[in-house]
Amino acid sequence: MSRSQRTAAFIAGRLASVVLTIAGATLLLFLMVRLVPGDFTSVMLGPRATPELRAQITHDMGLDRSMLEQLWLFTSRAATGDFGEDVVSHRPILDIVLDVIPNTLALAFSALALALVVGIPIGVIAALRPGSWLDNGLALLSISLITTPTLVVSVILFLIFAIGLHWLPVAGAGDPGDLVDRLRHLILPSVALALGWVGYISRLVRAALLDTLAELHVRTLRAYGVSEYRIVGLYALKLALVPVVSILGIGLGDLIGSSVVVEIIFARPGIGSLIFNSIAQRNFPVVQACVVFIVAFYIVANLVVDMINALLDPRIAAGRG
Amino acid sequence: MAISLRDLSVDYTLPQGTAHALRGVSLDIRKGQMLGLVGESGSGKSTVAFALMGLLANNARVTSGTATIEGRSFDLTKRNATADLRGRGMAMIFQDPMLSLNPVFTIGTQLCEVLRRRAPGSDRKTRVAMAQDALAKVKLSNPQRRMNQYPHELSGGMRQRVVIAMALLSEPALLIADEPTTALDVTVEAQIMREIIGLRDRIGCAVLLITHSLGLVTEYCDAISVLYAGEKLESGTVKEVQRQPGHPYTRMLFDCEVPIDCERHADASENRFTVIAGELPDPRQRPPGCIFNGRCDVSFEDCAVIDPGDYPIGNHAGHSARCLRLQTP
Repeated sequence: MSRSQRTAAFIAGRLASVVLTIAGATLLLFLMVRLVPGDFTSVMLGPRATPELRAQITHDMGLDRSMLEQLWLFTSRAATGDFGEDVVSHRPILDIVLDVIPNTLALAFSALALALVVGIPIGVIAALRPGSWLDNGLALLSISLITTPTLVVSVILFLIFAIGLHWLPVAGAGDPGDLVDRLRHLILPSVALALGWVGYISRLVRAALLDTLAELHVRTLRAYGVSEYRIVGLYALKLALVPVVSILGIGLGDLIGSSVVVEIIFARPGIGSLIFNSIAQRNFPVVQACVVFIVAFYIVANLVVDMINALLDPRIAAGRG
Repeated sequence: MAISLRDLSVDYTLPQGTAHALRGVSLDIRKGQMLGLVGESGSGKSTVAFALMGLLANNARVTSGTATIEGRSFDLTKRNATADLRGRGMAMIFQDPMLSLNPVFTIGTQLCEVLRRRAPGSDRKTRVAMAQDALAKVKLSNPQRRMNQYPHELSGGMRQRVVIAMALLSEPALLIADEPTTALDVTVEAQIMREIIGLRDRIGCAVLLITHSLGLVTEYCDAISVLYAGEKLESGTVKEVQRQPGHPYTRMLFDCEVPIDCERHADASENRFTVIAGELPDPRQRPPGCIFNGRCDVSFEDCAVIDPGDYPIGNHAGHSARCLRLQTP
């Protein structure tokens, strides 16, 4: 097989596993939600609801059917993108989720981009002179950033830049039609979400770079007079990014998890705050739809991660990595 | 003399103390010639190579040493003294071709990187053409396709050819080959040595071949230097040293070689390996007298007390050995 054929086969294999994983995760999720004790209708409607209204809601949510029937309805509908209608707002659940998803994606990706843009150079600088005061200083900074919870960082940023200095807006996602306003609303939440990752990525890059710089091919480049900047910033960095990218794929789940906190503090509409509010209301169909989307996002993100790694390291596509 | 190295001493700082890896080693290599530097593991032969290149490990320190390369002198005690020569005046071929190329860049990219330095100002197209030409010169099949391949798609011998092509592109005055065939199949050894000889003849550079194989030295080298525990015990032309080894250690090394043809070598008919009894002395504390005294089979009382000098052997200029028995009263 040629190299491009091998790469195509690799990607096709990964795509097939994505479909299976989403199906498996959906099934697990469905069963877990059904395992939660308590009556959805009594939580949502309160103790004073009439039996007729309860029966109506139970029927609307399909809760009067058998488990297997419910599972079949949920999966067959979910497969076509139909998650049913929300009993509270009477809007299709899909629309509710799709409304907030762009906000969360913007937050997650801007935070990730920020973390990479700041974290990688810090890691490279630290690896250039291991053991120097600069390296030690950056290590202290990175570890401080990693160990400070997102919750604390969010509140501090919020108090300083939004409440104290009035530089940036306090809450919300901004006027939907105004891009500048939306970006201004994005700054604080994405910085809050990114800071821990800056520390994490810089430590990862530093460690991976130092490992790579000890390899013999680096000596070859040095023997042929290639400048240290090109060796570290190009030849070693490309190789060092492979493990970093792999860990990023796993860490994206954490990023979505932390976005729940950030979205609540900054009162930002998003999938995190939607899940939070829906759980508070015991509106499980919405929670279920949200989590399906998060699982799908996580899996697709990891697929992208694998593809990026196959591009970075040809041995992975060749099945030897 | 194209290349001369004078009085090279290197220390390694180890948790157990300071190890003196090299003590006052001097070498001379003529232009267009190949010098074989032989010695057992731990004798310091690779340290000579890396001290010349300025690529010693961080815990190593050059305490003395001067290199003269094409008329320019370099004080090796200064870190990066020869940095300017890397990839232009000096090139190196390494022991493990499986590990000496970057796995995530194509052969072409890595060869062109060498040319960024050797041929500054050249455009990409010229560099690609030059790199491809170099691959053809080291007899790598299908050079155009190899340019876009990654190291893992090539065998060890092919990868070593790529490194030789790198050396060829950098047109050095001194080529250092550090055990270039040790990690390869014996069948590939002769091919790789032929390419190194071809490179030398094409460029007219001096070659320092570092090896533990006397067979390789007697077959391909013009001159030989024998290193033992960080000291040079003998040097001369391969012909002279082979005919009349001046140092007991050199003689014992030749005895250790396993002759292929049993009829010509009566001793080998018993199919026994000859070994040199004993071990290398502690590199942290040099014993007084001759460094080889502990393992020598012809030593006498003075050997444990008097430091031997380099005494000439016969009338042949350049053949000398560090053994008191050669001292003429």
